[in-house]
Amino acid sequence: MPLPPTSIRTLSPEDASHLLRRTSFGATDAEIQALVGASPADAAEKLLSFPQTLEQTNFSPLDAVGPGPAVKLIQGDWLWQMLYTPYPLRERLALLWSNHFVVGVDKVKNVYALQEYLSLLRSRSLGNFTTFAVEIGRSPAMLRYLDNDQNKKGKPNENFSRELLELFTTGIGHYSETDVLEGARALTGWTFQGGRNNQQDYAEQPKFVFNQKQHDNGSKTYLGQTGNFAPADIISLATNHPATAVRVAGKLWAAFVSSTPDENGIAALAQTFSQSGGDLRATVKNLLTSEAFYSAANRSSVFRSPVEYVVGAVRSMGRPPMTEKAVLSLVAACSRMGQELLHPPTVKGWDGGREWINDTTLLLRMQTAAALTLGNNAPKGDPLTPLSVLGRSGALQGALGSLNAKQRSYLMLISPEYQLI
Amino acid sequence: MDRRDFFKLSALAAASISGMPGFLARAATVAGGDKTLVVIQLTGGNDGLNTLIPYSNGAYYAARPNIAIPKSDVLTLSGDLGMHPALKPLMELWDGGQLAWMENVGYPDPNRSHFASMAIWHTADPTQASSEGWIGRISEQIGDPFCASNVGNATPLALIARDYSLPSIDSVDNFQLKLPAGTQAAFDSMLSERRGGEAAYLEQATRAMLKHTATVQANIGKYKAGATYPDSKFAVQMKDIARLIASGTGQRVLYTSLGSFDTHAGQRADQDRLLGELAAGLKAFYADLQTQGLAEKVVVMGFSEFGRRVAENASAGTDHGEGSVMFALGHGVKGGIHGDSPDLERLHEGDIVYKQDFRGVYAEALSGWLGLNARSILGGDFKGPGWLAS
Repeated sequence: MPLPPTSIRTLSPEDASHLLRRTSFGATDAEIQALVGASPADAAEKLLSFPQTLEQTNFSPLDAVGPGPAVKLIQGDWLWQMLYTPYPLRERLALLWSNHFVVGVDKVKNVYALQEYLSLLRSRSLGNFTTFAVEIGRSPAMLRYLDNDQNKKGKPNENFSRELLELFTTGIGHYSETDVLEGARALTGWTFQGGRNNQQDYAEQPKFVFNQKQHDNGSKTYLGQTGNFAPADIISLATNHPATAVRVAGKLWAAFVSSTPDENGIAALAQTFSQSGGDLRATVKNLLTSEAFYSAANRSSVFRSPVEYVVGAVRSMGRPPMTEKAVLSLVAACSRMGQELLHPPTVKGWDGGREWINDTTLLLRMQTAAALTLGNNAPKGDPLTPLSVLGRSGALQGALGSLNAKQRSYLMLISPEYQLI
Repeated sequence: MDRRDFFKLSALAAASISGMPGFLARAATVAGGDKTLVVIQLTGGNDGLNTLIPYSNGAYYAARPNIAIPKSDVLTLSGDLGMHPALKPLMELWDGGQLAWMENVGYPDPNRSHFASMAIWHTADPTQASSEGWIGRISEQIGDPFCASNVGNATPLALIARDYSLPSIDSVDNFQLKLPAGTQAAFDSMLSERRGGEAAYLEQATRAMLKHTATVQANIGKYKAGATYPDSKFAVQMKDIARLIASGTGQRVLYTSLGSFDTHAGQRADQDRLLGELAAGLKAFYADLQTQGLAEKVVVMGFSEFGRRVAENASAGTDHGEGSVMFALGHGVKGGIHGDSPDLERLHEGDIVYKQDFRGVYAEALSGWLGLNARSILGGDFKGPGWLAS
């Protein structure tokens, strides 16, 4: 049984605000009104239909003076896309998958490798999960990040093989140490050429190669199957394991339904995933039209990450123009709040939920809110409304009624309610 | 944007606002005792064999043709063991009897996942059943939700108690809320709205933050640096820890992290740099404490989630292993090497076989240094290697 559909027939302003705060970071009152009266399925379909065209920006990472600045410009460009694209769900999904198939700019600084990785996240997020995982596995960014480019016949490097199972597919408890070793043997030979040196070649294009000479083509036993597995076979065995469906469903649940997992809900979504053969579009669509997604109990139960915090505020203001410099300063603010784009603390990514919240990050959210709403350098957009940022017209207005529009916007952004979607 | 423009984009300052709420004073009593434990987490699995090096052991050199530390570079501590050369700043502490190494530390049924193993160290529960941190349990035993803090921007599991998290302080200077003029009353009123679910949790978290910032800012002016710290992030964190201790904010445990020690490839470059950062930061911290007259009140204890495989891999790195070394330093430690070195000829799946349960090392810190009931915090009795001076 997939997730049961919502009983809502047409979206109210609150339903539409809820949908847009979760899928699009945030939206203006006008964008919310445009969805009022639509059916949940039509609204989801509209959001899920996005092209791959990007906003033209002035960030040119290939012209950067070194790998450090190049990385900053890539981060700036990505945040720019999130802030200004007409297709925010594409970027929201890319952000989600960057927290699943993790690579980090601590180790990967090649401009082409990072751009190709981001492009995979944008273009494969609604495709087939196995295809997605194989393409990520072959990407120079991942080959470098988890050292599979060093994994050679007779001299295995287990890093990618281990995280493939532990983090990208089945999760702990469904494989043995032998599977990690055998997987590493089968993954030997996948490497890349060009752009090898982070310091000198950061602007040189790397290319995936399958080095047959370094591939161990002996028999392997992996997750209970035996054969002369090639690298892609291993990834496919891992992605098609029943535990993988549950893990992927759990990630989608945490992003779109609640920071508190629900075993039954996740199992139902996992079933949609399995029955569709790992079709991510069908899985996400089931989720965005489900009773679980729209139920009152699950409203305001996902903690906004720092990036969602910032992008949600700016998009709710109607995407006012900002300079490249201001966008880079927002990248830095997100980093201080605990979420540097393309640089999670470890390959596990961010757990999110309550973990986003502590004394320091709350203070930094308050500072960021001030920068976005008060003072002469704040972006000049529409005043924030309770419907756009809190999901309910009239929310908190009793407490904030005596203030001016800027002060009201600031206090709404530092309210407990805004930290949740 | 051209290249030159990029350089202008470096100093990205956060907005500054003025006005500070003075309506919250800390109510909790300061936990008894005047000793502080500083816990250093080496994130990513620090290679113990290249930290405390068995330089007289041929098996060590045989297993690591490319990454072993040559005998001539080892900082000799005994006839068999010595330190990585990057740890040179700690030699003075070693010579003064204020540095302890604990050999072969681990736990039963080792887990080679970074995250599972880190969680085991954080909860002090190898069965992985507990979701509370061992330092969180300290705060419950003492009854003070401000008796421990993390210095950094994410709260480690070790500092999670049953009903709350202990604070994280990213930067002591910025640890204050300044509301814009004219918004204080509306802010108070907004915070007092009726709310449930996670919004109620966030309201509590905001109120706790207001309390903690007030406490820190009321005290922090009392500190003047007593040593020059190097220019690394880790050193800045250690300086913030010294400031918190010296200004009497009252934490019994302070926690910080350095990493990543996950050296699957090109280990020498990464580990050498990190160990150098560690040693220089610790040396400055200890010198600062001496100047403040606090050296007798503080011990530092360091750990990592696991060591590495004994044999190097083909990428001049090492894969995940089992047991590793711990270190402790300060006036209160019994300097020297505690416990036996691992037998490099008898391995478990290529890893050293641990002999000392890490919970025994924790137990001595809890009962011997902090004067707490270790048994109730660790859920059992564990024998330690005797790393504290009696």
